[in-house]
Amino acid sequence: MIRKILLGYDGSASSDRAYEFAADLSKRFGAELHVLAVARPPEFGDDVETRASIEHSRRHYDRALAALKGRAASEGMTAQFALAVGHPAEQLVRYAEQHGIDHIVVGHRGHTRFDRWLIGSVARQVIAYAHCAVTVVRRNGS
Amino acid sequence: MTHIWAQAALWLGLALIATLLSIWLKVTTALSEIIVGTIAQLIIGAALGGVLLAGDASWLKFLAGAGAIVLTFLAGAELDPAVFRRKWKEASAIGVVGFVAPFLGCAALARWLMGWSHDASWLAGVAMSTTSVAVVYAVMLEFGLNATEYGKVVLAACFVNDLATVLALGFLFAPFSMKTLVFIAVSIVVFIVLPWVTPRFFRRFGNRPSELEAKFLMLCLFAMGALAAWAGSEAVLPAYLIGMVLAGTVGKDHVLLRRLRTLTFGLLTPFYFIRAGSLVSIPALIAAPAAMLVMLIGKMVTKIIGVYPMTQVYRQPPREARYTTLLMSTGLTFGTISALFGLSHGVINQAQYSALVAAVVLSAVVPTLIANAFFLPHHLLDGESQQPKGPSPVGGEGEALARRAP
Repeated sequence: MIRKILLGYDGSASSDRAYEFAADLSKRFGAELHVLAVARPPEFGDDVETRASIEHSRRHYDRALAALKGRAASEGMTAQFALAVGHPAEQLVRYAEQHGIDHIVVGHRGHTRFDRWLIGSVARQVIAYAHCAVTVVRRNGS
Repeated sequence: MTHIWAQAALWLGLALIATLLSIWLKVTTALSEIIVGTIAQLIIGAALGGVLLAGDASWLKFLAGAGAIVLTFLAGAELDPAVFRRKWKEASAIGVVGFVAPFLGCAALARWLMGWSHDASWLAGVAMSTTSVAVVYAVMLEFGLNATEYGKVVLAACFVNDLATVLALGFLFAPFSMKTLVFIAVSIVVFIVLPWVTPRFFRRFGNRPSELEAKFLMLCLFAMGALAAWAGSEAVLPAYLIGMVLAGTVGKDHVLLRRLRTLTFGLLTPFYFIRAGSLVSIPALIAAPAAMLVMLIGKMVTKIIGVYPMTQVYRQPPREARYTTLLMSTGLTFGTISALFGLSHGVINQAQYSALVAAVVLSAVVPTLIANAFFLPHHLLDGESQQPKGPSPVGGEGEALARRAP
């Protein structure tokens, strides 16, 4: 039984697909939907720029979440929206633990080989560390 | 003028490459600018001679120097005065220890292990004593510690640490004379008057397309910088202090800060960081890498020895405490400013400068790599997560782990 679903959202096309999947899942199971966006600071930071980067990311995700909130409301969906700062996979897993989430849904952005080598895919890391079921929604045709 | 435009185009081209690299590698632009500057000097210097990339043109020095000054001001303006007033005793204790341990430790290593001169050793201590407030702030946000007493104390302590670094840089190598006394006296008056005058002046004449605020702030920064230089001190000292005293007013005007950042990151700091990188000698580093490694390890070990026990006073979980302490070893801006000050004032030679800047760059990378490798996200697996359970807290500066979106 799925009672609480967590969607990792970054405003990308793949996370929009993941939202559609999570919303459908939520309706079918009557589950609570949580949406989490994560503002990621630079991996190796420095003074003023790190702060500026976090502020910029927050503004970006605030706008993305506000848009998604409007879309959810127009579709009659109720969801809880939250914004965290840090490593996306870590924050998703942490949020899931804290809120008793039993299913995480994330999009797949199709990183390049270099991205995967450098930072790994968020989806892969969530799968590796999450305590609950994880669904990775791939883009159409990929 | 042709030569100047060509040189400016070359430097901004390098800045653009550095920015693209920083986006690609997900690192700060400052870090990639230093590295691009170092590599560009090596390649362009070998292929076309050092003249094309020469960083000693007066216009270039001005832009680089202005970058360091405005960047330092912005760093100071990030202080939270309310927290600092409430927690200044604890913050001062941790901040002073966080400064003194690496300062004395690295100076001793430079003097007795590497045989550097008296002044060069002190400068090495200053360059290695820094910390990066914003990096620690980001970690606090990740752990949701920024809203806790511990988080606030540590963040305020980072400001004290950097203040001590800037004071040491400003006074340690300055000849004490009547000029010093004049500089101190004028500074005190300015630091008392500015927080009163600035908001009133901005309310009366500001918020127009003429960008009066930026002109006024840069007037203050350059004038006090000139006074500091006249007294044999360093221009970033008053810049950091002006930032701190205006943190409660200008520091809260996010729109103004964003405009200043646009100016700083768009034009000024690329010249500063690329210049800092271009003065690094790769052959000198390869010939004697030990100095760089000694400084890097010395900084990390002394920071941990100095700061970690203080985190235990606040009964922080060991993993989070070690993570925070490790990331207090970062500090790119003040580290490079100190090293560049030493080189330009003849306190250190180019080989010593190269070792210090390389250690500073590595100190922005290595502690983060260690912290991520050993502390993230493993703590989630062994049930040691120390986050308070419950609904997402509210946003703003007091934001904890996650907050409700609009």
